[in-house]
Amino acid sequence: MKKQEKFISAWESAGLPVIVLERAADGFAPVYQNSAADALCEEPGRSLTDHIPEEIRTRLLGGGPCPVEDELPFLFLIRSGAYSLVPFRWEEYRVCMLHEVTGYYNENRRILNEAVMASEAKTSFLSEMSHDIRTPMGAIIGMTDIALMQEDIPARVKECLNKIKTASGHMMSLLNEVLDMSRIESGRILLQEEDVDLADLLHEVLTVIRPQADAGKLHFSLKLGEMAEERLRGDSVRLKQICINLLSNAVKFTPAGGDVEMSLETVPAGEPDRVLLKLKVQDNGIGMSEEFLQRIFVAFEREEKSTTSKIQGTGLGMAITKNLVELMGGTISVKSRLHEGSCFYVEIPFTASTDMEESHRCALSGRRVLLFDDREDQAEQIRGMLGRLGVSVDAAASTDAAVDLINEMAFSDERYFAMLTVEKVKNAEMLLFLPQVRQRMGADFPILLLSDNDWTQMEYVYTRAGVDAFIPLPLFRTRLSAGLYAFTDEAKQELGESGGKRWNFHGKRILLAEDNEINREIALELLGMANLQIETVENGREAVDRFAETSPDYYDMILMDIQMPVMNGLEATRTIRALDCADAKDIPIVAMTANAFVEDVRNSLEAGMNAHLAKPLDMNQVYSTLDYFLGRGGR
Amino acid sequence: MKEYQLSYIRNLKQVMLLSDTSQEFGLDAEHFLNARQEKRRQIGGLVKENSSLLRKYLFPLLDDITTATRQDIDDLDEFADALMPDNQDVMLAYTIRSSLVAYARHYELRDMLIRELYNTGMALFHLNSIIETTDPHRYRWKMRMMFGEAAAYIKVYDEIEDPETRGYIHRSMGNLALGYNTGSVSNGVKKMQILRRSLQILTDPVYQQKTPSLPWDTYIYKSHQERTTGLSFLRTGLADAQTTREVMESAEYVWERQQEVSRRTGRPLSTRWHVTYNLAQYHCGILTLKQLLTYLEELYMQRDLNDFSVEGNYNNLFLPTLYAEYLSKDSRYRAAKKEVLGHMYRMMLRYVRRIPSEKMTYHFIRNLMTTFLNFIEYPDGIKQRDFLLQLVVCRNPETFVYLQMTACVSEMLLDRIADRKPELLIGAMGCRTTDEVLASREKLKRLAYDSGMFHNIGQMNFSRLTTMTGRDWLKEEQELFHYHVEIGANILKRCESTKLFADAAMGHHFYYDTLGGYPKDYEPREHENQVIVDIVGLAAYFNQLLDNTIDYTRPPLPLDEALRMIEGKSGTRFSPVITGLFLEMRDELEEYLKDGRLKAYELALRYMKEEDSPL
Repeated sequence: MKKQEKFISAWESAGLPVIVLERAADGFAPVYQNSAADALCEEPGRSLTDHIPEEIRTRLLGGGPCPVEDELPFLFLIRSGAYSLVPFRWEEYRVCMLHEVTGYYNENRRILNEAVMASEAKTSFLSEMSHDIRTPMGAIIGMTDIALMQEDIPARVKECLNKIKTASGHMMSLLNEVLDMSRIESGRILLQEEDVDLADLLHEVLTVIRPQADAGKLHFSLKLGEMAEERLRGDSVRLKQICINLLSNAVKFTPAGGDVEMSLETVPAGEPDRVLLKLKVQDNGIGMSEEFLQRIFVAFEREEKSTTSKIQGTGLGMAITKNLVELMGGTISVKSRLHEGSCFYVEIPFTASTDMEESHRCALSGRRVLLFDDREDQAEQIRGMLGRLGVSVDAAASTDAAVDLINEMAFSDERYFAMLTVEKVKNAEMLLFLPQVRQRMGADFPILLLSDNDWTQMEYVYTRAGVDAFIPLPLFRTRLSAGLYAFTDEAKQELGESGGKRWNFHGKRILLAEDNEINREIALELLGMANLQIETVENGREAVDRFAETSPDYYDMILMDIQMPVMNGLEATRTIRALDCADAKDIPIVAMTANAFVEDVRNSLEAGMNAHLAKPLDMNQVYSTLDYFLGRGGR
Repeated sequence: MKEYQLSYIRNLKQVMLLSDTSQEFGLDAEHFLNARQEKRRQIGGLVKENSSLLRKYLFPLLDDITTATRQDIDDLDEFADALMPDNQDVMLAYTIRSSLVAYARHYELRDMLIRELYNTGMALFHLNSIIETTDPHRYRWKMRMMFGEAAAYIKVYDEIEDPETRGYIHRSMGNLALGYNTGSVSNGVKKMQILRRSLQILTDPVYQQKTPSLPWDTYIYKSHQERTTGLSFLRTGLADAQTTREVMESAEYVWERQQEVSRRTGRPLSTRWHVTYNLAQYHCGILTLKQLLTYLEELYMQRDLNDFSVEGNYNNLFLPTLYAEYLSKDSRYRAAKKEVLGHMYRMMLRYVRRIPSEKMTYHFIRNLMTTFLNFIEYPDGIKQRDFLLQLVVCRNPETFVYLQMTACVSEMLLDRIADRKPELLIGAMGCRTTDEVLASREKLKRLAYDSGMFHNIGQMNFSRLTTMTGRDWLKEEQELFHYHVEIGANILKRCESTKLFADAAMGHHFYYDTLGGYPKDYEPREHENQVIVDIVGLAAYFNQLLDNTIDYTRPPLPLDEALRMIEGKSGTRFSPVITGLFLEMRDELEEYLKDGRLKAYELALRYMKEEDSPL
């Protein structure tokens, strides 16, 4: 320190506290402080650096470059005062000068407190307002839907209504985000502790995201990694929200033709029954700048550039996502490069839920299933999952191969326990093939459909084709085992019944027009078992008269034979549709005929019929048709 | 059979007779046209009557098949049998058989179920042969399903007492092999396995003792016959040693048996089995290619040009095709035998010209299609385009007329487009500017004409369906007919002289807005001459409205009504710009139609005369 002695007198007289640090083996160490610095120490003889907050101290004493050159001065409190510390390099030393800024600090603190209070008030206001605005918005959306359902709306009015629908839908989603953010900021979000079935959750997420990706002409893919556990304890709604926020963002900021990929896995977390859920959402979209990347999780932040200016959003989605992840005890990070895409990583710890797999394994072990799937990777995955359950798999990638396997099995002494089929196989007409399998294998043979589409949209068609049950894709082991287990004797005993679906159309009334007496009797008996009220007529003329003389909505549906004396089914349908009754136009009329010329089928649709039922009547088909028209998909 | 069933069969036969155009040969064009129109009117009446019979009596019964009486079922069985000779109405037979399967399942009639599964499988086999070259999947898996289910009853053989039902089980086991073609390794291997298993059971003394009344020798013989179809598997060069040996064994077995029967009964030997025997010898290395070709030539020279039996079909149609297939294995022979093959093709044409309509079975048509798909075109030899035109004009002059008129209208429309909106033709035949379009105008007109002339060539595969169905079409038939676009394109794209017209064959039913028509996977952007396809599609539709060569029950429309129909499809089925230009041609079209049809008939009749044939 000899060569610096000449400066010591200058620092002593400066009046400002000064500390000098000298390079040491692993960084810097204090070698001198002036008396003004001594005076700030709580204990005489100690270095003032001991009183500096650890975060600042570590950086000052660390071996890295001197921090002052590109950073603001450090600010901290010592004793009763606030000080700012400015370090600078002097030859091999680091010199730190402290300035008292107590007045400045107190003033800023007051402003900060006021700002926090104002922010809380804003949060509270937003929360309240969001609630208040959401209620009438719900009414606007609902009433717009009703208005759009009216017939004969003038084109201009319809156009306006559609615009109102789009705008109000967008506004509603903005309100929801604002409300969520305000709940998070006010600490009012409480996470639920419930069973989370990842299969269900993912299926629901994909039901939302796939159409968005399709609309944006993107290639969406899902990769499932190790699934140590598929049922967790946690908040499924909020977990779904995290997934959808990340995916919607990726879809939103990826131009047409781009790729969005979601990866999911659950890996053991070291403790019994604890797993780490790892979620990755990657895209090759427009990406983010280095600068914006620092602010991506800050509320109301949006990157402003020409490519994003037309994309709607509040800038709240990522902030909400980060807060939810952290509320769950997890972490979120992001990597991105401008014009190359982004990748978000989420890791959240969960407790595993108890599963039913062991009982399923006992009931299914030793059985053999036929798998109809032309995607090799997926077939291999299913084979692996079923292998763990002790189930053997014969896989077919074409109808020819599937029939070969069915034939070979018929020649052997074994039997297939069930058939698993995907929705589409190259060159296969599934709606012709599956009924043939159903006929060949009999009514008790389970046929289960694997699909990533919404089952409610397909149920009518596929149930008619002979499918008994549905398993959503992407495939989870628990879902697969539960799906197959449902058809075992053990499961049927648990249900305490024969296992068949019980149809109940209590309160529904149909008109059956059928000239054949035996057919009428059979239909009355079978339809009656489903608690339907049935009224019968013997020809088309009687059907028209009966319908015309009853009050509107008296009948829920008409089953109409085509070939009938006096007036045939086509003529009767045309006459009914032309009647001046409230429900004449929209009462479902279903034809009963299997054999007809192309022209006849076209004629029946042109006559106003809604569907065809093949004769001889297959009751499962009849019930599923009734369910479609009388139930959810109905009038 | 019931009265309506007998009437239906009678009407069906009458339709077949009326479809035969050979009775009008020798008339001048005007009288030919009048005679055909009268016959079409009569066919239309019979079609209506038959459709009405089915609607009134058959379909209600099939819809409520579980209420049918025993007598109804027996009559249906007999009716379906009567529809099968020469596959007169195989689709209706299949529909009936499917209902009989449903009946048997419903009442758990095991013997009947086995029999009807077999019969349904056979009907599917015949349906499969119609479209096998284009879509081998559509019916094959169903055939396997039917035969496989019936054959699996071998497991409860002892429980089945009826010997005839046991016979159906054995036949189904053997016929399960029909569900496999031998063009691929996996199918070839599978087919051989099935026949091996079937033959093992058929030659097992235990089974023979259990049912001594069954014709075991016939079953074994038929199984060997089927095993010789493994020759096509051998032709792929992918068959294993066991398959080669088994095919050889079966070829020998069948040939020895043929010789024995011929010695015993004095019946002439069948060429087919002799050929099979020699082909097997070639594939086993006993005969060289040169020896095989010489043998086929010698055999061909023994044919009878007036033999229209299955044997005659084989000798006159299939032998040249087989010859061409083996010829193409070696380029030296291919060049050296040009004249021989050319002669065979000319003779084939003469044979096709002479065959009576009622002899044009699906089997015959299948042989003809196989010829097209193996046609060898030499640069200075017979061109496929001339060969095809001759076949069309000989077998169905009305189709020729329709094609010729479509060709003329297509050419006129192209000319109009070149005049008014030449920019629409940029891209066609590589033209990059309107100047290039105008410079290539004649070439483009020629392409439009030829594309119109050949666009419907695939319809030949369905000539029975279009001319002899004798009732309205069923949905399944309509779907089958859609394959004509792919069949036509497959035939045309193989040869240099026709490959430019394949696009029009494939795309002429596809909608401009891409939302309708067929085939579904047609992609207009992939075809540089798509504008020609659009032109031909419109011209073809226009001519269909003016004529009724397929649907005899629909009267032809007057010009203005046809134009109104086309206008209604502007922007959906047809390009709005091209439609607009076409509608402007009304007067020109009217002028053309004054004698256009008659001239087309005159041309057809001229081509029909052997001495005027360009070949």
